[in-house]
Amino acid sequence: MQPPRLHWMRGRVDEGDGKPRTLEWIGIDDAGRTIARVVRVRGPLASGWRLYRAVALDAQGRVVELRPTPPAGAGWLACVGGQVVGRAALPLQAVRTAEAALGGG
Amino acid sequence: MTTTALEKIRNIGITAHIDAGKTTTTERILYYTGVSHKVGEVHDGTTTTDYMEQERERGITITSAAVTCEWAGNRINIIDTPGHIDFNIEVNRSLRVLDGAIFIIEGVAGVQPQSETNWRLADRYNVPRIIFINKLDRTGADFFRACDSLKEKLDIVALPLQLPIGIEDQFRGVVDLVGMKAIVWEGSELGAKFHDEPIPEALVEQARAYRQTLLDTALSVDDAAMEEYFEHGDVGVETLKRCIKAGTITGAFRPVLCGTAFKNKGVQPLLDAVIDYLPSPVDVPGIAVAAEEGQEESEAEPRRIKADPQAPFAGLAFKIINDKYGTLTFVRIYAGTLRTGDTVLNTTKGHRERVGRMFQMHADKRAELKEVSAGDIVAFVGLKDTGTGDTLAAPQDPVVLERMAFPVPVIDISVEPRTKDSVDKMTIGLQKLAAEDPSLRLKTDQETGQTILSGMGELHLEIIIDRLRREYGVEANIGAPQVAYRETITRAHTETYTHKKQTGGSGQYAEVKVTFAPLERNTGFEFENSVVGGAVPREYIPAVEKGIRSQSDTGVLAGFPTVDFKASLLDGKYHDVDSSALAFEIAAKACFREGMKKAAPVILEPIMDVEVTTPQDHVGDVVGDLNRRRGMIQNQESAGSTVIVRAHVPLKEMFGYISDLRSMTKGRASFTMQFHHYDPVPRNIADEIMAKSA
Ligand SMILES: Nc1nc2c(ncn2[C@@H]2O[C@H](COP(=O)(O)OP(=O)(O)OP(=O)(O)O)[C@@H](O)[C@H]2O)c(=O)[nH]1
Ligand SMILES: [Mg+2]
Repeated sequence: MQPPRLHWMRGRVDEGDGKPRTLEWIGIDDAGRTIARVVRVRGPLASGWRLYRAVALDAQGRVVELRPTPPAGAGWLACVGGQVVGRAALPLQAVRTAEAALGGG
Repeated sequence: MTTTALEKIRNIGITAHIDAGKTTTTERILYYTGVSHKVGEVHDGTTTTDYMEQERERGITITSAAVTCEWAGNRINIIDTPGHIDFNIEVNRSLRVLDGAIFIIEGVAGVQPQSETNWRLADRYNVPRIIFINKLDRTGADFFRACDSLKEKLDIVALPLQLPIGIEDQFRGVVDLVGMKAIVWEGSELGAKFHDEPIPEALVEQARAYRQTLLDTALSVDDAAMEEYFEHGDVGVETLKRCIKAGTITGAFRPVLCGTAFKNKGVQPLLDAVIDYLPSPVDVPGIAVAAEEGQEESEAEPRRIKADPQAPFAGLAFKIINDKYGTLTFVRIYAGTLRTGDTVLNTTKGHRERVGRMFQMHADKRAELKEVSAGDIVAFVGLKDTGTGDTLAAPQDPVVLERMAFPVPVIDISVEPRTKDSVDKMTIGLQKLAAEDPSLRLKTDQETGQTILSGMGELHLEIIIDRLRREYGVEANIGAPQVAYRETITRAHTETYTHKKQTGGSGQYAEVKVTFAPLERNTGFEFENSVVGGAVPREYIPAVEKGIRSQSDTGVLAGFPTVDFKASLLDGKYHDVDSSALAFEIAAKACFREGMKKAAPVILEPIMDVEVTTPQDHVGDVVGDLNRRRGMIQNQESAGSTVIVRAHVPLKEMFGYISDLRSMTKGRASFTMQFHHYDPVPRNIADEIMAKSA
């Protein structure tokens, strides 16, 4: 099996109701730069006057993507350089999706 | 007794559809753990857990049986349960008290109707499960199709931990995806040797792909394991096992193993998996305490009792057996320690019980114990009045544990003894049998004085009559099985009834105004008091409810119990001298009789979920016949050369189906059925039923 190319680290964690849940994994290159991100889709989120069903927040608390309902089997978004490059049911799958999107380089 | 540390105990059940191989698997487990030195076979009537005469004669499991064995330094208490839906109460009560289960499905048929029913039961009690796909040696077996049926029919994340090596008569062993190696058996005889070897070349690619899925799924429940994976590109076996166990307990995914119990392949790794992935009594959140009367279920997280031998005693009685030595009460102990002669409180019924003797059961054999504690499943002798589902607790912490839900009996038969002088003997026998079996009800017909038995199906009642003969020496005649009809109403109606009687001295006077309204199916009976301003004095309200409730046992159309309606007492009148509780009760009964007639009453009949497995060339006959029986075909699926037809058919039309099906298909088809829902009967049949009851 292909070992991950980036160094993946735990990002933000949700401490809600006592059980910490990792909300994102951050992919860092050898130089320590953040290259990719795998973000858990959450919801619902009240923002202003709207209630969003599915959300994924990035490190700055920005909404990465919104959907009326979370698409089936897509609990995680794979992001490279602020762009959503794919979605997956499980975090490790999303990591592979992100790395695949980085291509041969 | 508990010399075994709590973390080294597994209390598990084996559950599945009929004939999936539960008893055979249990028998192999007893052999491989060294409990028995020869293996019994279901078809020879020699297994340990099928010990009742009827079980041995028929080759089926009727009653659940508990056995104990040791594996790798752990103690495993196993309850083998029946698959036939008529004995579903046994699965129900066993799952209620177990910490985990092996869920067997058949390699050819995949998920079958009772697999689904039992799966939902296990869901209800949150029982962690591992799945064993059995009978891979059989022609037509397909591991991957069986896995697909798990996903489709049970809507779960089925996570293979093994892949088969070869299939049908070529089935040799399994690829172990956790250890990434092959486990191969050298024969199919009992005790066949097995060894590890490298994964066969042809399966390497497939094994890699499945291992990746295993990692993706299992590691997602544990962030530390994810980090280990990111660091090394893989994780150690211990880490992976820890993640699989965590996900198994929460139900995030369901591990799948495979083999053939009958041909002795796959049983040892299954035992390893029980130890590695199913929880010990301390790995589960603890049994929930029942919500207080009046407290909404969802209001607060229920209090949970942790497995702790030092805590005050708490246990649940889940099974009663009357045999020649007296009454055995099976108890799952959740907390505390108890010694012979101790007294406990039956908190469900509110009285004290002294525990005479205590036993570790091994099917029908027993070993006496002087002390029992948290985590144990044992049998007590000497309890006077403790029924299935009752809580036993220490007086200093009189908790009541969550109750069990019992299935609805759908078939009635009348019974009478062959000789008049054995009436009492029969009644006592039936009462004892009913005390053992909460899915069996006993009543006396108001009009005919006959004894009526209600049960889950023809087989269930047949076994009961047979036990009455063998265990209580009573030969009984039975009437033809009758459908347990119900009645209900389809529109609301308000009725006012005045009960007035002048008998010499004081008279009787009561007037009630009641609205009868239909409720949703399966809601039973509700009573509401909407009286304002004391038109009916408070002390008479319970009499009104009692009157309606008791009258509802005898429906207005054909005398069947009336269900799914609400009675609201709106108004009434009373008289200072002549009114009494009795007068209000009489008025309420009459009001029910008059009012329900005008609320568009209907008769309801049980509709069964029927699944027929038939060879391709008889599908036409089977479907045509089901249509004639007022069946609604739900779907038709083929698996190889056999076809599975699923239909909803009224129970009334299913009596004697087995013999018709046999002659129609020359004995090559089989079927199963279980209760699905109640539906109104068509007009012509209602008329027939009413004519008969008139
Ligand atoms: N070919 C084959 N037959 C099996 C296997 N396991 C069990 N059987 C046979 O299937 C039949 C039913 O097995 P049981 O062990 O009685 O099944 P069960 O699930 O306990 O059945 P109930 O308790 O009646 O629901 C018996 O004839 C067994 O010999 C297997 O792995 N392969
Ligand atoms: Mg059995």
